[in-house]
Amino acid sequence: MSKKFDITNIAKLASISLSDDEKEKLSNDLSVIIEHVQALSDLELDTNIEDVYIHPLEKVLALDDDTEKPSLTHDEAMSNAPKVSDGKFIVPPSLE
Amino acid sequence: MELLNLSIRELNKLFITKKTKPSELYSEIFNRSASSEAALHAHLSLFEETNLVKAKKSDERFSKSENVGLLDGIPLAIKDNINIKDEKTTCSSKMLSNFVSPYNATVISKLDTEQTIYTGKTNLDEFAMGSSTENSAFGLTRNPWNTDYVPGGSSGGSAASVASRSSIAALGSDTGGSIRQPASFCGLVGFKPTYGSVSRYGLVAFASSLDQIGPISKSVDDARIVYSAISGHDSLDSTSINYEQIELPFEKNATIGIVKELMEDGISEESKKEVEKVIDILKLKGYNIKEVSLPLIKLSISIYYLIAPAECSANLARFDGVRYGLRVDGKTSYEMMENTRAEGFGNEVKRRILLGTYALSAGYYDEYYGKALRARKKMVDEFSTIFKECDYLISPTTPTEAFKAGEKTNNPLEMYMSDLCTIPANLAGLPAISIPTGLSSNNLPLGVQIMSKPLTDNSLLDFSEMLEKELEFYSTPEGWSK
Repeated sequence: MSKKFDITNIAKLASISLSDDEKEKLSNDLSVIIEHVQALSDLELDTNIEDVYIHPLEKVLALDDDTEKPSLTHDEAMSNAPKVSDGKFIVPPSLE
Repeated sequence: MELLNLSIRELNKLFITKKTKPSELYSEIFNRSASSEAALHAHLSLFEETNLVKAKKSDERFSKSENVGLLDGIPLAIKDNINIKDEKTTCSSKMLSNFVSPYNATVISKLDTEQTIYTGKTNLDEFAMGSSTENSAFGLTRNPWNTDYVPGGSSGGSAASVASRSSIAALGSDTGGSIRQPASFCGLVGFKPTYGSVSRYGLVAFASSLDQIGPISKSVDDARIVYSAISGHDSLDSTSINYEQIELPFEKNATIGIVKELMEDGISEESKKEVEKVIDILKLKGYNIKEVSLPLIKLSISIYYLIAPAECSANLARFDGVRYGLRVDGKTSYEMMENTRAEGFGNEVKRRILLGTYALSAGYYDEYYGKALRARKKMVDEFSTIFKECDYLISPTTPTEAFKAGEKTNNPLEMYMSDLCTIPANLAGLPAISIPTGLSSNNLPLGVQIMSKPLTDNSLLDFSEMLEKELEFYSTPEGWSK
């Protein structure tokens, strides 16, 4: 298993901005944890990825019928949004 | 009479015989919170006004003999990652500090039909990520047995509340031991049901294939009563199950396995002695005892700390400053999201999101996440094999007694190791319970964990109750009041 850990790239993928101090501290912590999980690399496994564990009892997860049911109202669903206008979420532009 | 030490069944009997009323019990509960919260910080919020009304209504039902069941008028504490309509659900995070839930979790809807009272919402490690309740954005919770020590986590507020008698029982959630470990640290019963037997709808998701809601209580019977009320199939949770319980042998024809790997290095002598004490009791009662080996348990921390962060990184992607929760402005949407998540999440949550993002990233997915999934399947197979020869498995609940506040905060891996004994049951979806067994030389509680195969929750509770009676652990903490 690889031990390379590019904290800047991972933080970008996770959409979290980090200060330089945080990058150093988290990078050190994660290196220790990744080193620990390397223990799995020596494990001989014959399980196919298709047969991995999903649920202790269900092979296939239940799906609901595609029918309309009572749910939150539009206002209820929007009630915790930081910024709304005319029933819509307001966000900054995608491009500067 | 000390109402707060009584069981749910005893309290219900007193209500029915009119020797006390739910409003009198609630008054005692609230007064206890008033005196204990400054020392412990178990609750993040208390619902005093609503509860006075609810308790009076409960009084009326009992006076007219219209009471609805064992939980009518019983004050339960609710972990603050479970939604109660029109109340805040903060998950102990700045990200959700002002989030008011527009709907009830299924467990709350079920408890509502039982006319249960909720003392308030309890503190937790942020988004249930931690083992000490020190990762809360709103301050740590302390252990009622000795306030220099942590109550465990992540359901530490729920456990501290029950142990200090500021609730009769509590709901917690358990992803890697977050019900059982704090129950053990606080001298209580903590029960993680079979995965899927209690709906997760309305529980803020951390790692969806591992999360499970369950009770923390003073006795196994109280845990059984709460579990009966909250369990059952729910179409709102696609992982909810709809199966009959399987009955296990109960008396002497049951076989008990001692998990070898959880009695070796890394487990304190005192924790091992508690297991040995339980084994001696079972031997005297004529049970078959055998040592069993599950080699992959030794790798459970590694498996867990790939799968749980991977699921966490996906689940917590929803906190983007758009639909709910905190927003920190930025020039673009992307910058706003980065700033929001930087400000809203604490260190441990960031650590796990980053670890999960790494484990799922291109080029590493098969190597880390894929391998962990396959190892998990192999561990499940090991358990299945062992359950063909054993009915119940016994181990310590925790490698040690409670640790001091601040002792492990700078060493995440050491903190993770405190869940060594509890994580396997989450990985395999098993029901597992911690029951208190005695006190350590530092006068802190210790417990043992009992696991059984999926869907044997009721048998596990019966077996645990038998042991509880033999162990006679009835101590209550006084440390918080000193």
